[in-house]
Amino acid sequence: MKRIALVLAAAALSVSLTLAGSAAARPRATAPLTIYAAASLTDVFRALDPAQRYSFAGSNALETQIRQGAPADLFASASPVNTQNLFRAGLVAKPLTFTANRLALIVPKSNPAGLHSIYDLRTKDVKLVVAGPSVPVGGYTRTVLRKLGMSSVLAKVVSQETDVRAVTGKVALGQADAGFVYVTDARAVADQVSVIRIPAWAQPRVRYEIAVVNRSQNKTAAQAWIRTLLSARGQNALRSYGFQPLPKKAAP
Amino acid sequence: MDRRRFILATVAGGAGLATAGLTGLTASTALGATDEELAYANFGLAVEFLLADFYEKTTAAKLFKGATQRNLVRARMNAQEHASSLTKLLNDAGQDAAVEEDFEFAWPASTFRSKQAAATQGLKITQNLLGVYQTAATSISVAAYRALYASMTANVAQQAAVLSEALGRRTTGISFPAALDLESATNALEGLLG
Repeated sequence: MKRIALVLAAAALSVSLTLAGSAAARPRATAPLTIYAAASLTDVFRALDPAQRYSFAGSNALETQIRQGAPADLFASASPVNTQNLFRAGLVAKPLTFTANRLALIVPKSNPAGLHSIYDLRTKDVKLVVAGPSVPVGGYTRTVLRKLGMSSVLAKVVSQETDVRAVTGKVALGQADAGFVYVTDARAVADQVSVIRIPAWAQPRVRYEIAVVNRSQNKTAAQAWIRTLLSARGQNALRSYGFQPLPKKAAP
Repeated sequence: MDRRRFILATVAGGAGLATAGLTGLTASTALGATDEELAYANFGLAVEFLLADFYEKTTAAKLFKGATQRNLVRARMNAQEHASSLTKLLNDAGQDAAVEEDFEFAWPASTFRSKQAAATQGLKITQNLLGVYQTAATSISVAAYRALYASMTANVAQQAAVLSEALGRRTTGISFPAALDLESATNALEGLLG
């Protein structure tokens, strides 16, 4: 009898310690923010602050959802186009640039098309996958090809995806011979793909912007989250995932 | 005319040609070039920014004196004027031209520590740019653009001569320097462009 009582007492103590521990570990008592963010920010935002609620997708799709009244507190876009559209429509506060990125061409490790340079896209028989033109990375892809004078390779596109993660996935799984993604996405699947550099002179100006959604009931916390993102901690997190430093002219 | 005066005179002549090219360019904007042809301008713009940065750092390091230093200061202005012309060409063609802030140039640590290292690096850049401008000057469909590339070719050749002399080499080299395609020149300079 004494032994049963001891076990029950220990179990009760254990439960109460666990509850106390989880309360102490919780970062904040307020409700989590709902953050709509470009698919390319998935890994870094989750690592930077796992306590928030995220919705990751192509920035163009997220812009549409916010226009239709989706309950977001913050919108982080892979292109200023989407945030500025919403700013002009009075749906978000003034957007801030918080990081930059670059594009790369990825091929499966087995490299079935034998691509070694971006210029090989002109001559090799390639199944190319890109994002659609309204998705930021899809627009940037077309800019790269135009700058290189290689827009004709778009005739080799076999699939147009809704966000960068879908492009990355198709190449990583070997369903396509090559795809244009951000260098940060290429890093996430480095064991499955090889990266082919895009010349610096053909790189588009990839800038990420973030803005508080005007309909948010949690503006103070949303602004604080932006400050965290722009802080040394936030910028270090972005750099550790391969994002570029804050552009010189955009630095606060 | 001694060699120094000759170089100064030819550099000044090059600036005049570049201005003439820019004027001709204004009239040609309605003609339109293909994206493939505009790729020369995108490459050229990036390398002109690279060259301007190179000359700025080289002159700031005070590695050279006298006429060579003055020619390098002048060459920086040439690179900036070429960049302005190429920016206009691209913007008129409906492309979003790069700006200097878009690049993080990656100079090897030793580049600006000695005359030899600096002039060798500068010569490598000018020779690759020269090769691409030659190709552009002979292959682009728009006459005014060809004129611009021809005048820039002349000027970059002058810059190459100054850098060659700074290395203690002849200012005149082979009779028919090779034209270069974009891929070869890109591969040669990609490490510096960042």
